[in-house]
Amino acid sequence: MNKISTRQLLFFLAAIAPVGKIILMPTNLVHYAKNDLLFPAAMNFLLQAGVIFLVLLLAKRNLSLHDLIANKLGSVAAKIILSIFSLFFFFAALLPLVEQKLFVQSVFYDTLPSIVAFSSFFIFSAYMCAKPLSSFGRTWDILAPLSIAAFAGILFLSVKSTDFGALAPAFGTGAKSVFEGFAYNMSWFLDSAILLSFLGKIDYKKGLPWKGLLCYLAGAAGVLFFLAIFYGVFQDTAVNQQFAFTKVARYFSGIETLGRIDYLFIFALALVMAFYAILPLQAGIDFLRQSFGSREKRFFPALLSVIVNAVMLGLTIFLDYQYITLNDAITVKVFWIFPVFCLLLPLLALLLLIRRRRETE
Amino acid sequence: MQNITGNLKQDQEALKKLIPAEDILDFSFTTDKGGEFVILFTDPITDKELLGHLVVIPLQSYDGEMKAEEIGKRLSFPELRMEKSLDKLAEEILAGNPVLLWEGMDQGLIVGTKKVFIRSIAEPPTDVTIKGPREGFIEDVKVNTSLVRRRFKTGALKVEYLKVGKISQTFVAICYLEGTSVKKVVEEVKEKLNKIDIDNVPDSSYLTHFLASRPKSLMKQVGTTEKPDIFCAKIAEGRVGIIVDGSPIALTVPYLIVEDFQSSEDYFVPPYRATFTRIIRLFALLVAIYLPSFYVAAQLFKLQLFPVKLLLTISGSIRDLPFSPSLEMLLVLIVLEILNEASIRMPKYVGMALSVVGALVLGETAVSAGFVSTPAIIIIAFSGIGLYAVPNLIEQTSVVRLVMLLIAGSIGTYGIILATGFILFYLVTTDTFGSPLVAPFSPVVGRDLRDSLVKYNLGALQTRPKTIGSKNKRRLRHE
Amino acid sequence: MKQNKFIRFIKSIPTKIWVVLGAVVAIFFFLNDFDLVDIQKTAIILAAGIDRKEDGYTLTAQIAVPKGVDRTTGGTSSVNFIAEGETIADCVSDIYCKTGWVPKFVFCNLIVLGEDTVKENVFDALDFFLRNEYMSDGCYVAMSEGSAEDLLTSTSAIADTTSQAIAKLFSDANVNSGKTMKMSLREFAIGYHGVTKSGYMPFIRQHEQESSENGGGGGGQQQGGGSGQEEEKIYCAERTALFYEGRQVALLDPEETFAFSMLEGKLFNGYLLTEEKGKPVSLTVLDDKGSVSLDTKGAPKVTVKVDLTVRLYNRSIPAEMEDVARNEVTDELKENAKKYVEELTQRVFEKSRESGCDLFKLNQSLYRSSVKKYDEWKDTLLSVVPTTYEITIKTAK
Repeated sequence: MNKISTRQLLFFLAAIAPVGKIILMPTNLVHYAKNDLLFPAAMNFLLQAGVIFLVLLLAKRNLSLHDLIANKLGSVAAKIILSIFSLFFFFAALLPLVEQKLFVQSVFYDTLPSIVAFSSFFIFSAYMCAKPLSSFGRTWDILAPLSIAAFAGILFLSVKSTDFGALAPAFGTGAKSVFEGFAYNMSWFLDSAILLSFLGKIDYKKGLPWKGLLCYLAGAAGVLFFLAIFYGVFQDTAVNQQFAFTKVARYFSGIETLGRIDYLFIFALALVMAFYAILPLQAGIDFLRQSFGSREKRFFPALLSVIVNAVMLGLTIFLDYQYITLNDAITVKVFWIFPVFCLLLPLLALLLLIRRRRETE
Repeated sequence: MQNITGNLKQDQEALKKLIPAEDILDFSFTTDKGGEFVILFTDPITDKELLGHLVVIPLQSYDGEMKAEEIGKRLSFPELRMEKSLDKLAEEILAGNPVLLWEGMDQGLIVGTKKVFIRSIAEPPTDVTIKGPREGFIEDVKVNTSLVRRRFKTGALKVEYLKVGKISQTFVAICYLEGTSVKKVVEEVKEKLNKIDIDNVPDSSYLTHFLASRPKSLMKQVGTTEKPDIFCAKIAEGRVGIIVDGSPIALTVPYLIVEDFQSSEDYFVPPYRATFTRIIRLFALLVAIYLPSFYVAAQLFKLQLFPVKLLLTISGSIRDLPFSPSLEMLLVLIVLEILNEASIRMPKYVGMALSVVGALVLGETAVSAGFVSTPAIIIIAFSGIGLYAVPNLIEQTSVVRLVMLLIAGSIGTYGIILATGFILFYLVTTDTFGSPLVAPFSPVVGRDLRDSLVKYNLGALQTRPKTIGSKNKRRLRHE
Repeated sequence: MKQNKFIRFIKSIPTKIWVVLGAVVAIFFFLNDFDLVDIQKTAIILAAGIDRKEDGYTLTAQIAVPKGVDRTTGGTSSVNFIAEGETIADCVSDIYCKTGWVPKFVFCNLIVLGEDTVKENVFDALDFFLRNEYMSDGCYVAMSEGSAEDLLTSTSAIADTTSQAIAKLFSDANVNSGKTMKMSLREFAIGYHGVTKSGYMPFIRQHEQESSENGGGGGGQQQGGGSGQEEEKIYCAERTALFYEGRQVALLDPEETFAFSMLEGKLFNGYLLTEEKGKPVSLTVLDDKGSVSLDTKGAPKVTVKVDLTVRLYNRSIPAEMEDVARNEVTDELKENAKKYVEELTQRVFEKSRESGCDLFKLNQSLYRSSVKKYDEWKDTLLSVVPTTYEITIKTAK
């Protein structure tokens, strides 16, 4: 259990990483790009896939990000950089957490529940974030098949109600809309940054970067197909359909007689999402642990986890009715932060690797 | 440490002083030639008839030299041992093996005429099968090891005995196949058992606490079985078995949770049937755990989980009930647990009467009186029956079911999801003796999946489970 | 020593936390009162009727009431609650206020719009349902003859509740027969918000069940007249209301609805009534390949295609057994059927053209093929596009 095996990582990339993109991102995409929503999504996925490939090359060194940076720039620089990364993760986690809260309130309750109902998520998160990242590899072994089966179930139930023709005409909305869709949805694509926190914990095997790339693209294909179905089902009303994946399947003809069997799949995906939503927090805490933790400070991660989650709970309560403002602020006003941390910095890390090779030569 | 001196009277007194119990008797007799013997034995657990016929009578007519070898030849007895130490001789007497002393001999002769009252081998009540062997372990470790020995006619089967318990000195037999069982596991088991510092070991379940890596865990970490065929099958896969004197339940390590979804009968019926029943067991367990909690959560938080006609039926049933749905379900669950407990403990003679009361309490009367609703009774009945589809996990699943119900009634459906996440994480991060508890699902071990929830035919199970880690990989050669 | 104590204290914290959490969960479980609305406090609304008033709306909520648990008397009955308000949400809060129940629309399967409601843009009324996160937009929408209140408060002759009886009209079998066209809120909203701005919904009429009780007699509704016994009604949805920009603009009669169904390719085991030698003949439609396609190469052109596979079902003249066994569809019959189908499809298309309701989504097809052409033709396409009709009747052998 000390390392994440290749298979577990590939499961994560193929089946766990995509689930965070089917809650509110589809409506956000439609808001900007309408029927051209596949293009900005595909652009983001391709960029992420490329960076993930490069980050997995870094994994070959079998060193954590802290050690990689410390070896090159010194321990102080490593602490500073990782601390900044941690802050980024805590910031980036806010939107997914509020998204989760809204999703839970809408899907799991018939009437608006008390904040108490979602507070339990932070207890879950506080517990999980205190655990080492490597122990999550095993959960992905179970969650990945569950995610694939549930996702496939939802797609199967929705496909008959879909008018794929609604996606036409391609580029009908114009390049500006497509670009806005691309730029203003980057906040959902954190996978390459999260992967940096896995460095040093991966049981690297030959061919992992290519396999990782393919698996991520496979997951991306699933999400793109889902987006196509989503728009095909709702068309011009898609912009109003938050929590897309909970709604697409309810027009299946069997629902009238059997009841909402799609909830089986929704609950399964919600379980997977709970584990995915905590990853940015976990990554942030892990970076802080790498920088400031030690063998003696065994309770440091747990303490940090409790503090961070308490702050997040407070923020979630504070921002209870401010989702639209928060969404605009994060996805539009400061959207540039995400390509910096999720694309640029991982690429820079790779440059460090290349330079070190030259030195050893 | 005191030893036998050779002075008969002195030695006799010394031994009696060591074990001054009223049921420790001594019998003195002389040979025709005047040689004096004393036998010390524990009255209730010594076969006095055997002792008389095979020891006393032959010696009374003995006229040879008073040497151990000569006397040993005189006694037509296979189990004879010599021992000097008074403490060890005292232990043997307490174990039911009489000690023979005579003048001038500086060792005691231990005669194996133990008589222990044991029950006959019968089908174990906790593991009933339609097809397959019906033998079960009993409380005697020697009989139990003989049942194992009968199935493994090979020198590779090792049975090592330890004594655990300062007062009880309980025999514990560690059984493993040399070359198949994982050496590291064998050593670890021995180490853990040797470290146990306890007065009394009345049952094998006491040892599970010491063998487990997480002693406070709700989940099992040591496999249990009452059937020798299952015990032997597990050892043959590379596990280590532990048989405890006084307990019919044998232990096996490492333990995988998937074991409890398998039954010995699965190997005696066609594989498609076995697969079907294993899936049914898992489904039954999930229904047992989740049905009451989802029912409560749906009523309180998410009505949409019910189809509308079912919802209206339920709504009609629960009208004017004095309790909220969660309290109602909790009440019925507690009553079920009470009935469960009472039915196990009650004397046979009042069983019939209490069954009728139980049926009435939970049945029509309670519904007619308006205390509980019919759907709640049905749900708890399904849940109760489902729990027994996997009898080895009853203790754990009944607690989990209760916890789920409490969470469902307070937090709702999302609470159930998070609790499931907790349990999942907990299970996948638990290892027992180096093997992950939830293997071969997590981590995924491809070949081992062939005998997990699905069962392939025998020809496909040519290798031992990789999860156990046995170096002897192949167990079957079949084209 | 102090360090050991401290470490032991730290190690005991997780256990203490679990105990506290357990206690909190137990407290919430037993208290069970934090804005919870359980099943007993809920008004389960099966159907909603909306009528427009001068200063707002009347909402007729058909609330389900379980009859009982005994199988012999069990089932569903309903209570109709009529609420008034300036908005639909206002009406809903009226229900809260007067019943103490929390109305839940999660099970609402039908929204009925009264005749007055559809005279203006219905989306001001439907806005509440589209915004409501807890309401399914898969529910049916329909228009009623007269007020929705009258429809929902009537007593059905064939089901426990009006909504159940109306839901039966939208069964697959009925839709496949071509007698009814069903529409969901989602599809209606898509039509309105899309480039066509058009939609349709079934038009529900109620009439008394003809029985000896009221003296029989054909036609005309007889009111109960204070006798205390409500008249039982049966419902039909043979007509279809057409909408443009949220207003009703036309009404398809039963034959036109049948033709519309044919053009949508929905017909299966429906009956086509035609004639032969002056006598009516019923043909059963086994396969329907109907479509209205827009050709955008050059100037737009519409092709209305209907390709039916039929079998003779019923001649209303006595026939020889040989004829009954052979079931032959004569050429005259085929020709008459073809003319009839062409006439019907023309009527439907022309009605669509005249009313401005883009029933066959021509604007949508144009938009999807070329945005440029769409911008050029969007205001005039429906009114000027030339149409050709290709009707084929094949017989099943």
